[in-house]
Amino acid sequence: MILQKAKGIHIEGMKELSKKMPFREYLDPKTVYIPLVQQTTPLKRIVEPGEIVALGQVVALREGFGEMPVHASISGKVTSIKKVWHASGRMVEAIEIENDNQNRLDPSIKPEVDPDSLTREQLVEKMKQAGLVGLGGAGFPTYRKYCTKCPIDTVIINAVECEPYLTCDCQLIDQHAEKMLKGLKYFMKAAGAANGFIAYKEYNKNIKAALEQMLDKYPTIKLRPIKDIYPSGWEKYIVEQVTKKTYNKLPSEIGVIVNNSATAMVFADAVEHNIPLVARVITISGEGIKSPQNFYVPIGTKVQELVEMCGGYQDGLDPKNAWYIAGGPMTGKAILIDELVVSDTLNAVVVIPTPPETIHPECLGCGRCADVCPVYLTPTEIKRAFDRKDQKAIGELFADKCMACGLCSYVCPSHIEIADYVARAKDLLKKGA
Amino acid sequence: MARFAGGKAPYLRIADDPSKSTNALMRDFLIGMFPVILFAWYKNGIQVYLEGNIAFLEMLYPLFFILIGGLSSMLMEGIFFYITDKENRNVKGIMMKLKNSFALIPGIILALLLPLYTPIWVLLFGAFMATIVGKMLFGGFGHNIFNPALLGYLAVGFTLSGVIASAGGVFNQSEVLVDAYAGATPLGTLASSKQISYAALVAPYGSLWNFFLGTIPGALGETGSLAIIIGYLWLSIRKVIKWSTPLIYVGTVFILSWLIGAFAGDGGLWFPTYSILSGGLLFGAVFMATEPVTTPRNPLGKIIFALFLGALTVLFRFIGNFPEGVGTSLIVMNIFTMPIDSISAQIRAGGIRKQSLLKGIMIVLILVAIIVYSLIKSGTIYSLSALLGWFKLGVM
Repeated sequence: MILQKAKGIHIEGMKELSKKMPFREYLDPKTVYIPLVQQTTPLKRIVEPGEIVALGQVVALREGFGEMPVHASISGKVTSIKKVWHASGRMVEAIEIENDNQNRLDPSIKPEVDPDSLTREQLVEKMKQAGLVGLGGAGFPTYRKYCTKCPIDTVIINAVECEPYLTCDCQLIDQHAEKMLKGLKYFMKAAGAANGFIAYKEYNKNIKAALEQMLDKYPTIKLRPIKDIYPSGWEKYIVEQVTKKTYNKLPSEIGVIVNNSATAMVFADAVEHNIPLVARVITISGEGIKSPQNFYVPIGTKVQELVEMCGGYQDGLDPKNAWYIAGGPMTGKAILIDELVVSDTLNAVVVIPTPPETIHPECLGCGRCADVCPVYLTPTEIKRAFDRKDQKAIGELFADKCMACGLCSYVCPSHIEIADYVARAKDLLKKGA
Repeated sequence: MARFAGGKAPYLRIADDPSKSTNALMRDFLIGMFPVILFAWYKNGIQVYLEGNIAFLEMLYPLFFILIGGLSSMLMEGIFFYITDKENRNVKGIMMKLKNSFALIPGIILALLLPLYTPIWVLLFGAFMATIVGKMLFGGFGHNIFNPALLGYLAVGFTLSGVIASAGGVFNQSEVLVDAYAGATPLGTLASSKQISYAALVAPYGSLWNFFLGTIPGALGETGSLAIIIGYLWLSIRKVIKWSTPLIYVGTVFILSWLIGAFAGDGGLWFPTYSILSGGLLFGAVFMATEPVTTPRNPLGKIIFALFLGALTVLFRFIGNFPEGVGTSLIVMNIFTMPIDSISAQIRAGGIRKQSLLKGIMIVLILVAIIVYSLIKSGTIYSLSALLGWFKLGVM
């Protein structure tokens, strides 16, 4: 339809905050806490307190859908099983490992002799053994994407990062451009795809500059600038912009797989050096942080330590009266305490002072939520149907298309939690079906 | 779970920015009405005073009248809050509620819709109907079905129009002295003469230029087309209103009036221009067809809403008993806001599908029926030429 052109709005990125400081590696935290949960799946622990573990040793197993191992991110001694705050906003059990600062590697970590001779099946198996999950924030097991039965011809690396405040992917590509291209090359091989694309935001000139000079060596990989709007990092939007095709549920329907840029880098290491997923990038930013910056840290590091390395909290910020937003302010979860640990899905912690509570007017019906919705829903109507608990009406309004970008709540001048109503309507629809 | 923040994602909100919240929107809406208020004052106060027809103090009367409209509705709403909420009977609590209820706006719009020499008690009655009956009894701001100001205006118009006419009607003290008006507004002339001729409709008031500037008889705020257009530009740039809605509304009226004029034998563009510049059409299109609470939320719904408004306005203007069709068509369409919203939401989210196809066709058919009917009917009234003559023979 004419009415359905590409949608989204520009929102203030606040990205400069964390770009001022260089990218920093911090690989020796005193203790790490490996969370025993991935997405919503609990993990099965296979080490006992008191055991000595090496970096890269399997300490837990994910079972059922997307089964794979989870590895220790440092070498040391398992001291206890503790409850810690997780990116999902809940307290979960975690394995506490005390660092012995010897950096002993698991025997499985050794350079691959000839990575180019690996077959598709071997590459997918490597993804699984490396415990690779999507590092963009969703945490979907990567190898499941490559087990699809559909023929794949395109792999897209998503380096768009449309969440405000987040710059970790951008800075990571700056530092490790070659590694990402290698990762994409292996991804393409694992999928049997002929084309590779790297989608980045058009104003990120540094990504273009860093990658362009190396593209000669990778003739099948092309760059694709994406407009600076939110939610341009949405999988469907990127696929539409790059391939001009659209799909219903999964991009593999039209032969496309989308992976995050950080995932590609970890995969390059997994293929060439057999290093599993033990560390990730994370942005520590927000108005509440003295000098916001990006870190490359082992999974399980305490966020408190990273905040201290950023110079601590901004003067005047009351740490008890602030939001610690796990995973970007648009789709993340705000936690009221800074005792959070880095998990596989935690790509950022944004610290902002809690806004004062005010009384907002009622919905005035301006319709901005419907105006900006990237999937053309009318959130006010969905809320009305939800208030009646009318499942049929919710279904007719296509509430299940909502992908929780949060734009409707963002633009609402009356501060109504309209995105939350749509999410609840969606749940109601699922329950009924 | 206890450690979960009270708020929900997303944590960035436009509403937290004081320059973009609902309060700011409503403030901008008031600013958008400012040119109209100033023009109403100029035309009915300053100019008349300069011509020497009224005393100095009387010059301030138009401003005073508009102010009474706004303040009385605020006062009534305050009293309503005082009576209904027994726990919060203090100044601070009531002021807090008034701040989020925006009572000033319907009162001012109502005052602008009324003729200058409307007795104050009629204005107060209108304000009561607008804020208490039209808004508070429906549940307050955001819950009203009808545009409050419009409801007040129609209540006054249906019950007390005789009182207004005997108190001086739509003419200010200068206009009373002009013989050429023959005691009627432009639309009144059209309604009584049922003839489309430049000599009868436009010539007595000078030229169409006067229509554009607003120096023709009419209610306080409705004549100043130029001032309204300035307000429209401000509101569109500030994104308080959707810029397309007034354009579609006025455009529909323009095209349909042109067709009616052409069928009646005068295809000149003066008639459609006259149609959109006279009466309260521009005022209604800019300040009432875009009123967020009582119009559809969905962009597609807004387009449908504006098309229907245009068709209905033409229908009521050329066929109804009253010279004016804007108020009636707005009230009628207010009723249909909800169904339009739910149907257009389905169509917009899912495209044309089986379940929405029927409803979509229904809407189009009703719209076409209204347009065709009003064209034919007004054609018969306005000496329809042979083009549609066969309809007269028995179809309708």
